[in-house]
Amino acid sequence: MTSADLASRLAAYAASRMPGAVGVEVRDLSRISGGASRQTYRFRLAWTEGGARRERRLILRRDPPASLIDTERRVEFAAYSAFHGSEVPVPEMIWLEEGTKALDQPFSVAEEITGFEAAPALLWAEPYLSAHATLARNKWTLLGHISRADPFALGLDRVMPPPSPEACWVRELDMWEKVLDEDEVEPLPITRAAIRWLRAHPPPPAQKISVVHGDFRTGNFLYDRQGGIHGVLDWEMAHLGDPLEDLGWSLNPVWNFKRDLAGGLVPDVVAIAHWEASSGLRADPSALHWWTLFNCVKGQAIWISSARAWIDGGNREPIMVLPAWGLQNAQDRAILKVMGRL
Amino acid sequence: MKPDIPAVLAEIAGLAARNAAPDVDPAERAGALGLSAALLGMAAEAWDGAAQRLVEENQAVRALLADAGERAGENASLASGADNDLRISTLSANNARLRAALIALHVAVEGDEAPEARALESRIWDELRLSTERHRLSGALA
Repeated sequence: MTSADLASRLAAYAASRMPGAVGVEVRDLSRISGGASRQTYRFRLAWTEGGARRERRLILRRDPPASLIDTERRVEFAAYSAFHGSEVPVPEMIWLEEGTKALDQPFSVAEEITGFEAAPALLWAEPYLSAHATLARNKWTLLGHISRADPFALGLDRVMPPPSPEACWVRELDMWEKVLDEDEVEPLPITRAAIRWLRAHPPPPAQKISVVHGDFRTGNFLYDRQGGIHGVLDWEMAHLGDPLEDLGWSLNPVWNFKRDLAGGLVPDVVAIAHWEASSGLRADPSALHWWTLFNCVKGQAIWISSARAWIDGGNREPIMVLPAWGLQNAQDRAILKVMGRL
Repeated sequence: MKPDIPAVLAEIAGLAARNAAPDVDPAERAGALGLSAALLGMAAEAWDGAAQRLVEENQAVRALLADAGERAGENASLASGADNDLRISTLSANNARLRAALIALHVAVEGDEAPEARALESRIWDELRLSTERHRLSGALA
C-alpha cells in the first residue's frame, strides 16, 4: 500500500468514526522509523465540525504481518486508556480497530504528544546529561505509580487475566520459555542455564498483583531537557503480575547503554530507592535478583523471536535483524553478569 | 549471527534498490538507510573472523566433551569430530550440534557433586564466558 493509499483509506475510516464531521482529511502522513512491533506513522487529521475547521496531530500504529512482539492490540489499548488522565502520562487513545477491512491490518490511533524526545542516544550528551538524576527520579517514580495502581479498580482484569501471587513467576517463565522453544534459531547454552536456575530458585509470591508495563525502560518514554517525562509509551506487553517484574526489566543490563548504570542513568540502588518510595512496596533483593535474571531471559526470547520472524519471511524489515544481531550477545553477557559468572 | 549474514546482505541490497526510486517517502528512506548502515557495519565486523571464531568454539566444546567421558552420554562421539569443511554454513551447523551437546553436558554436571563434575561445570562456564567475548561486536547496541 502506498502512503497516498494509506492516507486515503485512513481518512475514510476516520470519517466513518466521526459522524458530525465533514471534509475529513489525512495530511502529512509519514512513517516513524523504528517500531519493530507496530508500523508507526504520524499524521494530521483535519475536519470541519459545527462550521469550524479543526485539526489534530495523531499517531497511527498498524500491525505488521509479523512483529517483534506478538500481542493483542486490545490489551495495549486498554492499558493506555486506563492510565490516561492519571499521574502516569500517556497519550490519549482515540480509536481501536481490530478488523482488517479498513487498513488490511488491525491498528489503533492515538494522540501525538509533541515537543519531546524518546531516543536514548541524545541522553549521553549535554544538556540531557546534567538532568540524569532528575530523569531517573521521574522514571522510577512513574514506574512506582504503575506498580502501586490497583488493576482491578482500573478494570484491567477484564482484558488481562490476573495470576495468583504465587503463580506470577511461573506463568511468565513458562510463556517466555515457550517462545524460546518455538523460535530458537540455534542452541542457547547461557539462556538455558539461566532458565534452569530460575526454576530451581523460585521467588516469593508477589506482594500484590500489579499492572506490569512489560517494557518500561530508557527509550520508551518522552523526556525533556530538564528530566521531565511527558509520556510513557510502548505498552504492548502490558499484563498483570508481580510489580518486581517491571523493576527487573528496567535493571536488565542491556538497557544500561554500555554505561554500567540502571537505564544508563543512575546506580541500581538509586533507581530501586525511587521505585520503593513511590510504590510503597519493597524490592526484596533476592526476589529482585530473580526478576532481573528472568527479564534477561525474556529479552533473549524477544531478540530470538525477531530473528525467527525475519528468517521465516513474515517480516523482512531491517529493524527485525537489529535486535538479533545487536542485542543477543549483549543479553548473554547480561545473563552472565546477573548470575555472577562474568 | 542469526539471521545469516549473506541472507541479510541480499535483503539489504534489495531494500537499497527499492529506496533508489524517487517516489519513496524521505522519512521512510532515511529510516531504512540508517538501519541498513548499522547492519552493514555489524556484518563487516563479524565477517573476517567468523570462521576463526566458529573453529575455536567448536574445538573448545569438543575438548570439554572429550574430558567429560561418560558424562557426555550419547554426545561423546562428537568429541572426535573435526572442522575439515571451512564454509561458514558447515561450521555453524557443527557449532549448533556441539552447543546442543554442551547444554546436555551442563545439565548432567549441574546436579553432580563429584569433584570432577564440579571442575567440569566450572570449565563450561569459562567457555560460555569466552564464547560471549568471541562473538562480541563493537557496534552492538549494548
